[in-house]
Amino acid sequence: MSAMFSQNPVMNGPNYSFSDAPRTNNGEFREHRFNPYSDNGGSTLAIAGADFCIMAGDTRHTSGYSINSRMAPKVFRIGGSNSDQSDATIALSVCGFAADGNALRDQLDTVCKIYRYRHGKPMSVHACAKRLSTILYNKRFFPYYTHAMLGGIDEEGKGAVYSYDPVGSYEREQCRAGGAAASLIMPFLDSNVNFKNQYVPGSGVGHELKERERHPLSRPVVETIVKDAFDGAVERHIEVGDNLQMMVITKDGIEEIMLPLKKD
Amino acid sequence: MDALVAKYSRPAAEESDPFENELESHDLMNPADHLSLKFAMPPVAQPSSWLRAATDDRSNPECPIKIAHGTTTLAFRFQGGIIVATDSRATAGDWIASQTVKKVIEINSVLLGTMAGGAADCQYWLAWLGMQCRLHELRHKRRISVAAASKILANLVYSYKGMGLSMGTMCAGVTAEEGPALYYVDSDGTRLAGNLFCVGSGQTFAYGVLDAEYKYELSNEAALELGRRSILAAAHRDAYSGGYINLYHIEEKGWTRHGFSDTNPIFWKTKLEKGEFSNVTSELE
Amino acid sequence: MDHRPQAWGRPRDDVYGAYDHSFMNTNSHPNQHTQQPLVTGTSVLAVKYKDGVVIAADNLGSYGSFARFTDVKRLHTFQDTSVVGFSGDISDMQYITRHLHQKSIEESYASSSANKKSRLSAANLHTYLSKMLYRRRSKMDPLWNHMLVVGFDDDEKPFVGSADLLGTTFTAPTLATGIGSMLAQPLLRTYAGTDEEAAERTKEEAIKVIQECMKVLFYRDARSQETYSLAVVSREGVEMKTSEKLENMSWAFADRIKGYGTQTV
Repeated sequence: MSAMFSQNPVMNGPNYSFSDAPRTNNGEFREHRFNPYSDNGGSTLAIAGADFCIMAGDTRHTSGYSINSRMAPKVFRIGGSNSDQSDATIALSVCGFAADGNALRDQLDTVCKIYRYRHGKPMSVHACAKRLSTILYNKRFFPYYTHAMLGGIDEEGKGAVYSYDPVGSYEREQCRAGGAAASLIMPFLDSNVNFKNQYVPGSGVGHELKERERHPLSRPVVETIVKDAFDGAVERHIEVGDNLQMMVITKDGIEEIMLPLKKD
Repeated sequence: MDALVAKYSRPAAEESDPFENELESHDLMNPADHLSLKFAMPPVAQPSSWLRAATDDRSNPECPIKIAHGTTTLAFRFQGGIIVATDSRATAGDWIASQTVKKVIEINSVLLGTMAGGAADCQYWLAWLGMQCRLHELRHKRRISVAAASKILANLVYSYKGMGLSMGTMCAGVTAEEGPALYYVDSDGTRLAGNLFCVGSGQTFAYGVLDAEYKYELSNEAALELGRRSILAAAHRDAYSGGYINLYHIEEKGWTRHGFSDTNPIFWKTKLEKGEFSNVTSELE
Repeated sequence: MDHRPQAWGRPRDDVYGAYDHSFMNTNSHPNQHTQQPLVTGTSVLAVKYKDGVVIAADNLGSYGSFARFTDVKRLHTFQDTSVVGFSGDISDMQYITRHLHQKSIEESYASSSANKKSRLSAANLHTYLSKMLYRRRSKMDPLWNHMLVVGFDDDEKPFVGSADLLGTTFTAPTLATGIGSMLAQPLLRTYAGTDEEAAERTKEEAIKVIQECMKVLFYRDARSQETYSLAVVSREGVEMKTSEKLENMSWAFADRIKGYGTQTV
């Protein structure tokens, strides 16, 4: 009888001398069985040019097979001096779990605004890119389920694109596709932006062939590539469609373009 | 009694502020906290088990978060200093996330680290190590030894043991007191000094070539070529390795880069000019 | 850490225990046991029209398949400018509405008597609630609701926003939660697929399509009820009706239903 009351009531309850808390196969306590992630689909794309950078994303927001919204942008201006972000110089795109994406955007924006307040100038993309990496890594053990990309103009006036994995490893690149249709768009970019596996005709035979030289693309060419990439993705991926949001970042600021995509 | 009534008459919605500790403005306002060691943890009983469920792409190819992985890296000591060589491929599951990863991390002008395992873990902690090395220099007015630097890193990752970090890194540098020094540090907390290490999913292929040809007396050119050839072997046989060969040579004056070169032309050159890789045909019958 | 080449860098079973698939079993979506919703409300519908928004939800609180409480008001007015409609757990709804009540008292201290308009627009309220939900999901202790927030945004344009237990948010000209997103949303999209179309619709048209959708939902949603609440939010304020009844129902279609599709006799 005394054994019944000597137990810690919080752990075992008053009536059992054994713990009946459910456990997993590993013998761990089974609790908190709540999946905090979901996938809201969509795809993003970023291409850097010689003196500009384009960040693009579709505006479809999905849960499973349902379309939640046809107008849910996933490219955001970051670090403007006010809430309408009209003087922002950096753009962030996020896809994956939209709520994590919004939380990430808000946090980075706050950091950039505090920097601007303290230093009286906007943050450079280089600095912002590093900061985004540490923000993501701070959630290393409870990651943001997002594929983030950052675009802007670097200190030399060149277009810059940084892409991230969910826990903050990052790399500066010429172009990158992210999200649901990344595997459809990225090979297209390898060919059309980086000219991978393209050789100069008549430059040699067999292994002597010269690779086609890479050169920075002009803005109209990049805009066309972006549109074509998304048209292709819409055709073959159910989670991509509705509208194409494009942010063109130049030394004069950010220009936003909205184009229609197929809505089926 | 009034106190009791006051205590229990507050509406439940008011009792706990739904935004308590939401954004600790202190964290945001204090720039020194950027590389802090305060990590958000999932509020579950077994965080490491939960993290594994969310990120282990090998056990569950459907897991939501796929962290960039997969590598061949190597470094070896020889009479002329240290050679560090890596491939440049990052994979997330079956998907090649990047072919242009810089897996040699320049901790400072004389110290190099390599990246294998979780790309973010290596990038973050080697950047952190760079900060610690600089602080050491400022405090002690002399350069940190490779032994000390690698031990700072090993102690740090050991304190996170079992939480799910994944990194296999080599710290390499040449100092006056140590000569060429090479340490292997991984996320289990292992720290080993040695002449020669290969790390990553393609390590076995690289060891095969490296062990066969390695001598401490190698000339600089021969050593660079051996590093390149070992990575090439791994890039050829390991699906998770490939891309470009990143080569570095470290001497006491600091490190020098020896290119970030595409494996494909190197492979064909090696085959056609030296007659190696004869298992691969070069003509279509 | 595993050192075998085929699994290099991955966690080892003998260190971390076997991989536990149950954490990430995405098929059994929100079937989780941190807590689970007990008394629940079904779909909420909302549509924009040219001068405002119409929102509706029935008055049922279900206990599993049991129609337990038949007079639960699931639409809540905030400061006579916005309405929040809740589906999901009723107790969490009550927690949130108590909190919102408190919030509106605090807000009315701040706004001067001359300017009676609320400082918080529906768009602001939507952001506030979604942060609250995201905060709770990050604590793995979610508020088990999917809610629609309707009213006006900061530019005085009609606003319809959704926020769910994970903190996911989105806006659209028409929205429906729960099974309504399958049954009613397609009908609502024929009424207004874009904001431009919604800006051409009248209040009467909006109410009509909502009534129609509530009827369709009552036909097919086993957790629904005949009496419902309907609110119209316009610039004049909120017009809330809490005991609407479905009208002109025809159950003639039920006559032809045999079994679950494959049965013919």
